[in-house]
This record gives sequence, structure tokens and C-alpha cells, in this order.
Amino acid sequence: MTRTLFTNARLLDPAQALDAAGYLLAEDGLITAAGAGNADADHRKGAEIVDCKGACLAPGLVDMRVQSADPGAEHLEDLHTLLHAAASGGISTIVALPNAKPVIDDASMIDSLSLRATRIGGARLRLYGAATRKLRGKAMAELGLMAEAGAVGFSNGTRCIMDSLVMRRLLAYTAMLDRPFIQHCEDHNLTAAGEMNEGEISTRLGLIGAPAEAEAIIIDRDLHLIRMTGARYHAAHISTHAAIESIRRAKAEGLPVTADTAPPYFMLNEMAVSTYDTAFKLSPPLRSEDDRQAVIAALADGTIDAIASDHVPVDGDAKAQPFGPSQPGASGVDTLLALTLSLVHQGHLDLLRAIELLSLAPSTILDLGGGALIPGTAADLVMFDADSSHIIRGGTFASSSRITPFEGMPVQGRVLATYVAGAPVFRA
Amino acid sequence: MTGQSQTGAPDGAATPESTRKTGSGSPVSLPHRHLLGIEGLSPIDIMALIDRGDMFADLIQSDTAPPPPFSETLRGRTIINLFFENSTRTRVSFELAAKHLGGSVLNINVAGSSVKKGETLLDTATTLNAMHPHILVVRHNCSGAAKLLSQHVDAAVINAGDGRHEHPTQALLDALTIKRRVGRIQGLKIAICGDIANSRVARSNIHLLATLGAEIRLVCPTTLLPAAIDMMGVEVFTDLEDGIRGADIVMMLRLQTERMEGTETPSQREYFNLFGLDRTKLMRAAPNALIMHPGPMNRGVEIDSATADDVEKSLIRTQVEIGVAARMACLEALASANGDRT
Repeated sequence: MTRTLFTNARLLDPAQALDAAGYLLAEDGLITAAGAGNADADHRKGAEIVDCKGACLAPGLVDMRVQSADPGAEHLEDLHTLLHAAASGGISTIVALPNAKPVIDDASMIDSLSLRATRIGGARLRLYGAATRKLRGKAMAELGLMAEAGAVGFSNGTRCIMDSLVMRRLLAYTAMLDRPFIQHCEDHNLTAAGEMNEGEISTRLGLIGAPAEAEAIIIDRDLHLIRMTGARYHAAHISTHAAIESIRRAKAEGLPVTADTAPPYFMLNEMAVSTYDTAFKLSPPLRSEDDRQAVIAALADGTIDAIASDHVPVDGDAKAQPFGPSQPGASGVDTLLALTLSLVHQGHLDLLRAIELLSLAPSTILDLGGGALIPGTAADLVMFDADSSHIIRGGTFASSSRITPFEGMPVQGRVLATYVAGAPVFRA
Repeated sequence: MTGQSQTGAPDGAATPESTRKTGSGSPVSLPHRHLLGIEGLSPIDIMALIDRGDMFADLIQSDTAPPPPFSETLRGRTIINLFFENSTRTRVSFELAAKHLGGSVLNINVAGSSVKKGETLLDTATTLNAMHPHILVVRHNCSGAAKLLSQHVDAAVINAGDGRHEHPTQALLDALTIKRRVGRIQGLKIAICGDIANSRVARSNIHLLATLGAEIRLVCPTTLLPAAIDMMGVEVFTDLEDGIRGADIVMMLRLQTERMEGTETPSQREYFNLFGLDRTKLMRAAPNALIMHPGPMNRGVEIDSATADDVEKSLIRTQVEIGVAARMACLEALASANGDRT
């Protein structure tokens, strides 16, 4: 039996609204005791003692939107690098999109990737199954078999389901399986040629605009289909004020709708594109300042449930291009915690809410059973210093994908250690 | 990539005495190493380039000046015309301008290459940089391409058109053309008409003419109107006759053929009917209104031939002629700004 006792910790557990100096005992991969104050002699017996020295100890982060280049483009980032980079970012579970090569649209691929991940170590790997075969948006993939193989939900990657009939049937079917549907909300007809957010900046730069309305149009359509089907629906990387208003109304109505966003959408706006720097080419595109403020407000009031890194391994050559044809996306697992903590340091969120957005909420949306420090829960933990400052440098990332829109940005928050099932997978 | 080398002035060509004789002033000194756009240039920089171009235009048109080259400013310097889009008039204009200043010109036409444009851009930049050109004149179908190139080469870069973004030398030659004909730009009512959304000429002209105090109106169908364009200090019209009412200058833009029958405009016929300039519609403009077009024209689409070829009112041919002088001022300014290179 392995016993690890964490002492002198600032315990942060959004599930219990707990923010107190305390201890935590992990035995055989599970949390068996946690509470304010000092551990007693029973807790200490035979345990390896980890003195947190006042550092924060929270449920490990659950990053619910990560693109893995493995399988298919391992030269950009293989699974080993990704899972260890995630661990160094305080992430104990990543959930990967199905848009690998080949597409994860078959139960055997869920099996084999999950098995590979357990041999690698680092963060845990969970997978979304592809909603449609080859992500083509037409024929349904074997959702039931993938669910049995462990798919935590279904997604069509970065392709929105444009066909309303296909979408209706997917929602009806995922409702039957009781798994969430993860939508990339973008009306591709409206944005096909789009190079950045539409507005004054796109006009000045001569870049083709993708209107913000493309996001809300899809959500509004989907809300009607959710009323018809009762499906659990999750709107991924929400970036616009209009979409947030739609989600807010849907939640008030009691629909089973959740949403996440990613750090670029609360840290940056479209002005960043002014130099044509392709590190700022993202999908969805960076939006207006009004949108950014709406995202922050939605994170604070609960309209947006979760924050994901939206990690995308991008080839440097695909970025060394003019802005228009360059590939969207940027690295994210290394910077997820520190960027989210910026919202705490700026006074928009308290620390518990930030942890909730990063662990409890995504874990709950996907039924992962984690994100809490309650006895019986897996001892997936992150230990971090919330105040230690550093400057983001892509060159120092553990990820082999080093393109970041946050290059040179000063942030606070440093991961000291990450534990999966009570065992350290990263130590600073 | 296909290259074609052409030398400029033959070695030992005499320095014409007249270089400084006709015009006033000296080479313009720009605070920037490159000329990537009009946005960001001060009114003083713009006026200096126009005045210098004015002097060169006098020289080119003079019957008494000795034959070119008119100056030795670019002697021993290599100017590369790097065109990722087809162009005849702009490329030839730059080539002539460089040769008039004694420079050596190399034309590289990458248009139509099946290679992905972006990769070609930086690969080409690296290759060309190793040949140590002094000035790179670049045209590319992507907005921001000239800026990207400028970050990867040692040469001074002139943007000869990047996507929908800017075409600064076109705006300078347009302003110079207006100034030579009308005498001023401040206070003029200038209507820019046509495909604004996809026009780098429109954007550069808006920046330049607004900076010099013109009143700018845009006329275009709502499907070709870029978002928030009114933030650039222009008035927008969707009726050509309303938009050009009382205008001193009517500047027509080219409508790309591929946009004529789709969801932007339904047909060439309808576009000409609603947005094409003819003599009848032109009567709404000021009595002495002048017509401009950056070329190449689609006769019968945005403008009819009778109007385009009206010797009294059309400045379209003059624009081409003045283009060489305006580009001489730009080339000279960048050569001066960058000094001698080894």
C-alpha cells in the first residue's frame, strides 16, 4: 500500500468550497482524507510526507480541448511529449479531439490510444469519438461502440456539423447514449474565406472578415434541436458576446447546455493581429474587446463553465506564411494555469472559481468523476504557487509545439508538481 | 520561379547635368526603411514624395532634358521586381523608374506557380536575400505579405500591392496626378467607386487623400462594402449618382471578372447599370470633374469607353505616365534612407 501525506497545503476544492490550510492523504491512488488543520498521527503512519510549504494543492486540471498530432503528425508532437507537457502544466487529464490522422472514429482506435497512453505515463488521456465518419459531417460514426470503448463524448473536431438533419440525429443518438456532444460553433458557409474577425481591424488590414455572428447562428440553431432531443450539448471555445447571450438564455431555460472558452479569448483581442503575426491566427479568431469582456463576465457568472487550453500543435512552416493562408492554432498546455490565474490576479475571479473552471467543471461535464478533493476521488492533484511570476517564452515549453500568442507576456503562477493517482508525473 | 535579367543603364552613362535643374528639393528622406503602406506615413512624408515626384514628372515630360537616366542615385544598385501576381503596368513602371535613376533591374515573375504562395514567398525571400539586392519591389495576393517579406530580407522593401491591404505607390501616383492637374488635394471632393472590399488601391487612397485633407466618398454595392469602413473617415453611398454628386474627382475601381456573376453582383449588365460610369451619370459630378482608374479597366463594366477615353476628363493615361515619376521618388527615397550597402 502506498501512502502519501501532503502537509502544509493551501487546499483548494471547489466541490466543497474549501480554501484552507490543511492536509491531504492519498492511498493507493485515491484520496482518503483531506481537511483543514494538521494531519494527525494516524495519517502520518507509514506515509511519505510531502511538505507543500504553503503552496496551493488542488484537483489536477482537466483540459477538455486538446488536439493531438499523434497519430498522424508525430513529428510535430508525439503522445509522450504531449502527456508529459500537460503534466508539467498541472494538467492531470487531457481530453483529445478526434481529428487525428486517421480520424478517431472507431472503437478500436479509442482502445489502442488509451492503452498506449497508460504505458506512457504523464497526464491521463481521455478521448472524444468522432461524431461522423472521417469528420465529413455526413454519416454517423459508431458512437455506441466508441462509447463502450470509453469515448467521453462526441465531437466533430474543428468542423461544425452544418447539416441540420445530421445534427438533429447526432443529438438524438448521443442523448440515447447519455454522452455530451461537443460542438465547434461556426457557420462555415459564412466564414469559409475568413482570415480574422470581421470589423474595423480586418478592413484596415485588408484581411477577409469572419463575422462573430457565425458562432451564435450555430448555437441558436442547435438550441432548437436540443429542445427536440434533450441532448447534452457543450459549446466549445466560445468567443463572442452574441453566443454567450444565447447560452445564458438557454441555461435560464434549463436546457442541458454547457460551454468552455480558452485563454486567448479572455486575454487577447483582434488588435493583436495588427502586425499580421501568425501566432495570433486562431480558430475561432481573436474577437473584439467587447467580446473579450463578455467572455470574462461569463466566466465569472457561470455562463461559461470551463476553460480549456485549445492546444493545437502547429508546424512552424505552416505559420511562416502570410496571415491569410497560415494555419490557425497555437500551443496551450504549458500556459493554461498561469493565464487562467491572470483572471484571479486581475480581480475577475477568485481562486476557487478559477480551479472550478479548470478541473471540477470539465470533469463534471464529461462525467470523469474527478475535480474534487473528496475521499474516494482519484488522487489527481496539482501543487502550484499562485504568485510566482515569469515571462511566457515558447522556447521554454515542455510541449514540442512552441508557437504561442502569449510570447513575452508576464504572468503569475508556477506548477510545482502534478500527481496522477497519487503518483508524481511532474515535479518542478 | 522564372527569372529574367535586364541591366539598367550601360556602364559609363553620362551623369545628366539636369538632375537638379528642373525641380526643387533633394531626395526625400523617409523615417522608415521600407515603404509598406500609406497608413503610418506623415503628411510631411507624403507631400515630400509627391513634390519630388512632381519634379521627376517635369523631367520626364521635358523636351529639353537629356535622355535618361536622369540621375545616378541607383547606380550600382540592384532592384528586384518580385511579382507573385501578374502585372504589366506596375512592373514596367517600377522597372522604368529604377532605370531612370541608373539602377539595375531584375524581374522575377512567380505568378501562376503551382507552389503554395506562402512557402514560395519566404523561400524566395531567403534565396534573393543571399544575392544582396538593394531594393525589393514585391506584389503578392496576400495582405501583409510585403511586411512579412521585409522581416526576412536585408533589402528595402516596396509594397507594390499586397492582397486587399495597400498599394502605396498607386495612391502616391494618383495624388501626384491630381495635384499636377488641379493644383491641390485639400478640400477636393473625391469619390472612390466600385469593389471597395477587395481593393488595396481604395485603402491606400483613403489613407493618403484623407491625410491631405480631401473629402472622400465611397460608392459601392453593399455586398462589396467592407465592415466598419466608415471608421476610416469616409462617407458611404450605394447610389452612384448620389455618391458622385458635385465630386471633383471620380475614381473608378476594377471589378474582378470572377466576382461578376455570383453572390456579390448578379451580372456584368446589372453592375454596369447600377455602378458603371457613363456620360449621363457623370453629369452629376462637378462640371470640371476628372476621371481616374488604376487600371486595367473592364470597359463596359465599371466604366464605358466614351468616358474612359474622354481626353478632356479622363486622367487614366496620365496616371500611367505619372506612375513612373512617383515611383522614382519612392525608389530614390529608400535608396537614400538605406545608404550604401556592402
